[in-house]
Amino acid sequence: MHPVIRLVNRNLTISLNKGFLIWQVIFPLIYIFVAGFAYSGMIGFNIMNSTLISGIIIWNDRRHGMFEQILVGPFTRVHYILSNVYTIGIVGLISAALITAVGYPLFFKSVEFNFYTIPLVVFASVSGSILFGSIASIISTRLQSSEGFNVVINTVFLFFAFVSTAFYPAEGTPEPLSTAFYLNPLTYLVDVVRAGIFGNFSTFVGIEMIVLIALALILFTIATKLLSKLEL
Amino acid sequence: MSCIVANSLSKSYGSIMAVDGIDLSVNSGRIFGFLGPNGAGKTTTIKLLTTLIAPTSGTINILGIDAIRQPLDVRKKIGVVLQQPSYEPTLGVEKSLEKYGMMWNVERKTRKDRVEELLSAFDLQEIRNMKNDDLSIGQRRRVQVAREFMHDMDLLFLDEPTVGLDPSARRGLLDFVKKKVKEGLTIFFTTHILNEAEYLCDEVAIINKGKIIAVDTPDELKNKFGREKTIKIRIPETKKDVSGLLVGIKDYEIDLNSGTNITIRSNDSEEVLLKILQILNVNNIPIEDLSVMPTTLEEIFLTVVNNSNASGN
Repeated sequence: MHPVIRLVNRNLTISLNKGFLIWQVIFPLIYIFVAGFAYSGMIGFNIMNSTLISGIIIWNDRRHGMFEQILVGPFTRVHYILSNVYTIGIVGLISAALITAVGYPLFFKSVEFNFYTIPLVVFASVSGSILFGSIASIISTRLQSSEGFNVVINTVFLFFAFVSTAFYPAEGTPEPLSTAFYLNPLTYLVDVVRAGIFGNFSTFVGIEMIVLIALALILFTIATKLLSKLEL
Repeated sequence: MSCIVANSLSKSYGSIMAVDGIDLSVNSGRIFGFLGPNGAGKTTTIKLLTTLIAPTSGTINILGIDAIRQPLDVRKKIGVVLQQPSYEPTLGVEKSLEKYGMMWNVERKTRKDRVEELLSAFDLQEIRNMKNDDLSIGQRRRVQVAREFMHDMDLLFLDEPTVGLDPSARRGLLDFVKKKVKEGLTIFFTTHILNEAEYLCDEVAIINKGKIIAVDTPDELKNKFGREKTIKIRIPETKKDVSGLLVGIKDYEIDLNSGTNITIRSNDSEEVLLKILQILNVNNIPIEDLSVMPTTLEEIFLTVVNNSNASGN
């Protein structure tokens, strides 16, 4: 078995527990069923939320000595970084699939799943996972204390969540909030998911996809560099 | 055959030389003890030899592989128990052993057998389902050491593996290590507990301020540096005041509290002993007990390190 696959197996084992999965489903369901909207927003939100795993894995590995232990084993730093990318990609996809499956009965009349739209959701899941996973990784490599890590990561992700179109549409939102929406990558992620679910793909969504993947690649490069330079 | 060869190995952090041009050669199938005071450079040396950090200069050859050019090839053949704790907080003991074996690509059936063997050998049966986060420091350390035996290796680095262990667990671990060496494993071992090194090691090196100041078998080190012997004589309570009789004899001391214990520490301890025995005999003072304390590795260690500090090396 390839070293990266072995590390992904390990990452999934230590991260995916019942509590996490239940929370990943129940919390969005509260929004979907109680508020009755934000189906695609909750998928995007859930993808972002699940990528916290990446930061938590790195931070925990450093805190509990597993980062060094892995690096004196049959692995390289590149293996470690790639395993985190694949892990967050898988978790993002699982997360998106769970919400899609659970919300489908409620929204099935307006959902336009087909051969062309499903890849959009998969694209959003993977690129969003890499993007937000990289942000979580960058934060985890810069902070030493658990308190600092939790405060910063929660503040950043809370900002992303509420200054975006995840919970309410951009139309009718006062300035400068509506402009701020489009400085936020979660808005692009949610728009692409929405286009995938409701089949309303447009040129603007195409541009959003390019921005999303470009941002994901830039942030992933920064995260990789920081992780490679991490002192042992 | 040498399985570790390091030449002129150095590692500096800014102006601080953590490891200063050391040469090492460790033969296969042996336990090599690496001793030194705090901050002497032991852990940095282990990090260099295990490819965790790159040297500033020098060469490292591990198991015939250039460790600087092919670090991954080296790491595939070695095991490392680092000084700092390492564990997966959310996993149980059994699961963490099993997952560690999986990470090393050990076959499922072999993993299962080894987990049982190690749970038993390291006395972890009762806590096999407890999460690592809930274990005591000593239990966690036992799991960390046991875990490393989940995979095959030719060389094992143990950086103070017995820290936090009770005497029984410590002896169990050392005996397990000895057993593995008999099966062909080579061990590079650091410890602060020098009687452990004496019990376990075929050869020891002492490092101080980044430089190796002595390398040899424990017995040879004792021959080289352990000329001073300690002899203890106990006389009866009724004959306490003997110090007046021993005027003119050097290298002895009388325990002030009891007044009945005479300790001789000298390079010529036999000669001093003879003189004291003659005086006791002449004065009709019986001897209740006489013991010769063998020179320990700890005494050798202190002598060598103190000499090194005094000479400024």
